[in-house]
Amino acid sequence: MNQLAIPLERHCLDNGLKIVLSQDSTVPIVAVNIWYGVGSRNELPGHTGFAHLFEHMMFQGSKHVPKNKHFELIERAGGTLNATTWFDRTNYFETVPSRDLELALWLESDRMGWMLPAMDQEKLDNQRDVVKNEKRQRYDNQPYGDWDQRLQALIYPKDHPYHHPVIGSVEDLDAATLEDVAAFFGTYYVPNNAVLTIAGDFDESQVMDLVQRYFGEIEAGAPIPPLPGDSCLEPIIGDTVREHVFAEVPLARVIMGFRIPPYSSEDFAVAEVSRALLGMGRASRLYRALVRERRVAKGVVTYAFPLLTNASMLLTWATGYPDSTPEQLEAALTEEIEALVEARQSEVDRAIALTETDLVRALEHVGERANLLSMFNLYFDDPDRLNHEIDRLRAVTVEQIRDFAASQLGSDNRAVLVYEPKRKS
Amino acid sequence: MSLLDRTQPPASGEIRQFDFPEVQTGALSNGLDLKICVLPRLPIVSVNLFLRAGEGSLVEGRAGTAVLTGDALEGGTLKRNGSSLAEALEGIGARLGVSTGWEGTSISVSVLADRLPEAFALLAEVTLEPDFPSVEVDRVREQQLAEIRQRSMDPSALASDEVSRRFYAEGLPYARPQVGTESSISSVTRDQIRGYAEACYRPGSGGLIIVGDVDPEQIKSLSSEYFGSWIGAPSAVDNFRVDAQTRERRVWILDRPGSVQSEVRLGHVGVARTTPNYLPLSIGNLLLGGTFTSRLNLNLRERNGFTYGVRSRFSFRSQPGPFQVSTAVGNEVTASAVREILSELESLVVDGVTREEVDAARDYAAGVFGLHLETAGQIASRLNQILVYGLPDDYYHLYRDNIRSVSTEEVTSAVKAHIRPDEVQVVIVGDAESISGSVDALGLGPLEVV
Repeated sequence: MNQLAIPLERHCLDNGLKIVLSQDSTVPIVAVNIWYGVGSRNELPGHTGFAHLFEHMMFQGSKHVPKNKHFELIERAGGTLNATTWFDRTNYFETVPSRDLELALWLESDRMGWMLPAMDQEKLDNQRDVVKNEKRQRYDNQPYGDWDQRLQALIYPKDHPYHHPVIGSVEDLDAATLEDVAAFFGTYYVPNNAVLTIAGDFDESQVMDLVQRYFGEIEAGAPIPPLPGDSCLEPIIGDTVREHVFAEVPLARVIMGFRIPPYSSEDFAVAEVSRALLGMGRASRLYRALVRERRVAKGVVTYAFPLLTNASMLLTWATGYPDSTPEQLEAALTEEIEALVEARQSEVDRAIALTETDLVRALEHVGERANLLSMFNLYFDDPDRLNHEIDRLRAVTVEQIRDFAASQLGSDNRAVLVYEPKRKS
Repeated sequence: MSLLDRTQPPASGEIRQFDFPEVQTGALSNGLDLKICVLPRLPIVSVNLFLRAGEGSLVEGRAGTAVLTGDALEGGTLKRNGSSLAEALEGIGARLGVSTGWEGTSISVSVLADRLPEAFALLAEVTLEPDFPSVEVDRVREQQLAEIRQRSMDPSALASDEVSRRFYAEGLPYARPQVGTESSISSVTRDQIRGYAEACYRPGSGGLIIVGDVDPEQIKSLSSEYFGSWIGAPSAVDNFRVDAQTRERRVWILDRPGSVQSEVRLGHVGVARTTPNYLPLSIGNLLLGGTFTSRLNLNLRERNGFTYGVRSRFSFRSQPGPFQVSTAVGNEVTASAVREILSELESLVVDGVTREEVDAARDYAAGVFGLHLETAGQIASRLNQILVYGLPDDYYHLYRDNIRSVSTEEVTSAVKAHIRPDEVQVVIVGDAESISGSVDALGLGPLEVV
């Protein structure tokens, strides 16, 4: 494939708000996407889950937008919207027919500038209940639902910002007050901590006037405070750490995680490609060995988390059959992961080919374009990185992958989380 | 800087008319429909081969065979084993996917445009020359059985299966899980899989859809080259008649001790995709529980904080699929949530809908339609709907105009005709000890803990 050429333009308002524009009028729709540089890593002890609860509050109205009006107006326009909270950031996004770009800018700017006047205790209590239900539905009432918090706790020490889960604890959610909402807003939801991307069908001669009109009068905030907790971390765990959980789960599952270089490091690309060799597609090592040939696992999952602070994590998991033991799963995973020290060039080529297809497919959506541009701008101050992603991965050599396997995927850097079905008495 | 008046939402700009992209339709001499849509925005192509080989045409003892056969396609061809096949596909960056539903099996490939001819050849090889080696068939069957075990502990999957069992008369395909049951799958052999593919993977009443950065002439010649000599029609079609299990309102609690939440489903047998009421009913469902600002979500989530979310849905299939409201709520509010859902259904059919609600839902449906015409895959899946349900070729070209012309009266009469609060089956997966008393006290009908 030829070089990607997603067009983009960058601006910055006086209040520090960064803007990325990417025009494409093939389809008359436009995506508006804002990334705020705040996530669960910014939460203080006793306030876990707050960044996510706050995200819910952002939909409860602002000075000029009554409760539920945000949803109502976007849906009425024929648009879709949502928001997500993660370790390093929180994003808000809508895709609308292009004639309603101004509506989306009005809504996003009103809550960036005028959220607090609309807050009250009733809304906080309501959304706290909604979030508790989200926690029950997605984590507490699901087999294996607590895996991520257990794995994070194994890979990151107690005072590291990635030690606790994004959803937080019920006790901390219960303790959240309206004052916390105001303080969080004033600290982090400021234009100088945000990137606004507009991608799709818009009028290039007018769009910056609109952005200036809606966001220009929002005042800049103070510089963003440093991360809480101790974010010093060794590049490897130093040992094999493990937790064995007997739970109400149907099948044994072994989750193996490793500390890897942070997303901001050049070496993250090596981790990404290594991950693809292990688990991307059905020709990948883990699928081929564990699922197809040895038939010890019914399925495998792999993922390299793109995290910014000190170290990210690479995750692999294998779910067994009714008669597989956790020991078998762990042994097979270990063996195949360690064998990556013999990676071959043909595997790298295949991983790159699949990654290319997946990236182009993602870019078919203006919403996804906008999301990636916001991310690259917020994380790396470089939205054009989108056009060079594949080159970055292509530059990874098979020798680098072998070295990575030897230095990062061994027994001195392994977190093993085992789920075993509770024995019926 | 002059301060902006923020008190009113800005008005919409001029609407930019946008049509469903042009589609070239034709057929190969063997009866395989061909639909080609040129979308030159990015160098990507989606190919989708639809075969009328679905779970809906299988007898109970064979349930799951269509799904297993589809899944086993990746096990290898007469030319190469499963691993080599995966390497051949992924080596050119092709993503192969097989999905099997009630109506048929879709075998699809996504690939960058410059690798399309190779991908086409591989798609044909997978479909026309599958080998189904025993070892791969055994594996896929064991995976499916493990999947069934996994579903048996997943509250949401349990609720879906319980809905099928309680809504439909025993023995009907829709009364069982789409993937089959432990007993129907355990005994499936390699020969049965091969026999099924031999009989049902046939070009008649199927179709080939290609969307993306393509040259239509090249597609026509590739299609003839690879699929032209394939002949026959599938041996089975789903023409069963759907009956509800009961018209009496009943409550079923599937006990899952220790659950911290109840998965709630409430509904009854719905209506087929071919109903003339499809559009008004879709609008009615949007305003009941199909959007964030729907009646149900504003009540249960935003007013009462009972849930993270609640939806209602008609599953339109070739025969009447289920209509159901679904949500997950805390144990202590389970009964209240059921009461609220039922009240919303009752007031919907007693009082009908308002013009404002219908306007909002129509605007949403017409607007959001354009959001789903971005990608090759989205367009291909729309074209697939035309094939599966025999919709007219201009269906999506007229869709927006047709949606906009739905009237308030039509919506009211459609919801009155197809939503029957007195006949709902209430299905709850949760901790029976903590919820059954308060649910029973609602007096909705006979309650059974299963």
